Amino acid sequence: MSEAVIETKEFSKIFGSQKALDSVTVKVPPGAVGLLGPNGAGKSTFMKCLLQLIPYTGGSARLLGKEVGKEGREIRRRVGYNPEQDCHVPGMAGCEYVTYCAQLCGIPFQAARQRAHEMLDFVGMGQERYRKIDTYSTGMKQRLKLAQAIVHDPEIVFLDEPTNGLDPKGQAQILDLVQSLWTVHGISVVLSSHLLHDVDRICEQIIIIARGKVLVHDSLARLKARRKGAAEVAVDSRADDLRQAFQKQGWSAEILLNGRVKVEHGSQDLTPLMKLMAAIGISPLEVIPSPNALEEMFVQALKTAQ
Amino acid sequence: MSLHEFSYQHWEGRHCGIWRHRWVIAINGLKSCLANRWARNLVIAAWTIAMAAIGILFLIGQLLVPDSIAYEILDQLSQQMRGLFEGLKIWLTERPEISVRVAYNMLFYFFASTLYWFAMISTMLTIPHLISRDLSSRAIIIYSSKAISRFDYFLGKFGTIFGLLSLVWLGPVLAAWLAGNLLAQDWSFFWHSRGALFNALLYVTAAMLVISVLSLGISALSSKPRMAMSYWIVFWLVGDAVGSAASITRSLSISHNLKQISLRIFNLEGEVQLAQEAIPVLNGIIRSPLTSWLETPEIGGALTALVVMLALAIIIMTQRVKPE
Repeated sequence: MSEAVIETKEFSKIFGSQKALDSVTVKVPPGAVGLLGPNGAGKSTFMKCLLQLIPYTGGSARLLGKEVGKEGREIRRRVGYNPEQDCHVPGMAGCEYVTYCAQLCGIPFQAARQRAHEMLDFVGMGQERYRKIDTYSTGMKQRLKLAQAIVHDPEIVFLDEPTNGLDPKGQAQILDLVQSLWTVHGISVVLSSHLLHDVDRICEQIIIIARGKVLVHDSLARLKARRKGAAEVAVDSRADDLRQAFQKQGWSAEILLNGRVKVEHGSQDLTPLMKLMAAIGISPLEVIPSPNALEEMFVQALKTAQ
Repeated sequence: MSLHEFSYQHWEGRHCGIWRHRWVIAINGLKSCLANRWARNLVIAAWTIAMAAIGILFLIGQLLVPDSIAYEILDQLSQQMRGLFEGLKIWLTERPEISVRVAYNMLFYFFASTLYWFAMISTMLTIPHLISRDLSSRAIIIYSSKAISRFDYFLGKFGTIFGLLSLVWLGPVLAAWLAGNLLAQDWSFFWHSRGALFNALLYVTAAMLVISVLSLGISALSSKPRMAMSYWIVFWLVGDAVGSAASITRSLSISHNLKQISLRIFNLEGEVQLAQEAIPVLNGIIRSPLTSWLETPEIGGALTALVVMLALAIIIMTQRVKPE
């Protein structure tokens, strides 16, 4: 495993009498990392402390091998940040704004302008880039925030709820872009979200935070492996026949509102399930192993914390 | 692989130095300020005044030319003014080193003092564009996440207001001195008027520094741009009104404090004395209209008040400008 991009030891942040981060110790290798937790869990605080947007109160942290709190400018030159809140420099057009952000990271004007247009293409913004940001819709602002976060070609990008306020199509597009940052371009991604589906879709590693504490830190594959024995089967017809066949096997099964059949088969792999479906002559459209594994893990972690 | 996956390219160029970052903030802010029509008009008005000052300096230079048009103009003036210019002519011919020095010093004192009002009004128009709007739009979070420190941000914003003040104050003063001397009859004017240039630069730069820092502090006071502008008006005009009400409250007025500094730097009392010693006939002519300005500056109180104001502004800035 290559050098950790984030490494914290007893990392803490206290607001008055409340511990927003309680001795967080993690070592995160490069990749797409999902930061999960309920609202107010400490996800954004963790990101902001790492980026030195707010000072931390205890412990130590290293980001990209540099010590947080001592090499702020150098760290931020190599890091991108997509804040949750709607924030921009007022009075600018979209392309001017992204160019300006690139210049703030030390890219010369000509290169900054060219790169700004490339990034706006990348996030799927068309001619609206020449309009004032104040006139943008929420979706456009989200895309613009992503563009400004990656315009200086960071090695790691922190995305705080990047799909907030987007319609399903926009969410899918943004998640595709974010996924490609790591899988295609090798930029590590830290995605903070309370939407498990977003994290499930693009992240390889999961950190679950609640009440300022890290409850779970593992790869998504390993977390799902712990939840083997359940599956969701999509069929175009005969869903009820399938449910009955599963129940005859002694498996718990039910038809979900989306028409899929959820079954708890209890096996380590899907072989018994597939054999049964072949035997009764049902061809599934899709079989999803360990559905909701992340959700169950998340709920369980929160219960443990309480 | 979709199209967007091809459009991202890694950047392998060389990064600019930190001063470039600060310069970018300053220039961007200045552009934003000059987008305001009133601010642009103010800059034009300041340069118009500079033209008038250049005209006066040209006239002074023309006094050395026997058949100059300046004499035709002087003929149309009152008896007292004609006497003044006649005296000035003799003075210019006989003691140019003193006459040019005193005339330029006085003119630049009045010129710089006049442009002070332009500087204050342009600052009022600029206040929202400094920090206030960044607070309201949460742009501070964006700045804080880039490769700049809070100090770099302040320095950039300082550059914005200092740049604008240079356009309405320092620039016209410099241009007036340069053009006035270029149009003068004698190149020695450059040398003789060096003191006036130095005094003007010292006063204007010091005042610009003070106004810039104070405006940053006041701009950081509110995240509502109009409110920040109101705070500046209160600080300036109400401060001046309170300051003029009683001698004990004088130091609350920024105009009073800066005037004390200008009086100290230009040393009009000393200049008038020098002129009288050189040409005794000018005694009554020069002294009478200048009596009101020949007060002794209260430099200690003014400096203390300005230092306290600056300290407060810096505290406000550092406390208010945070990403959270």
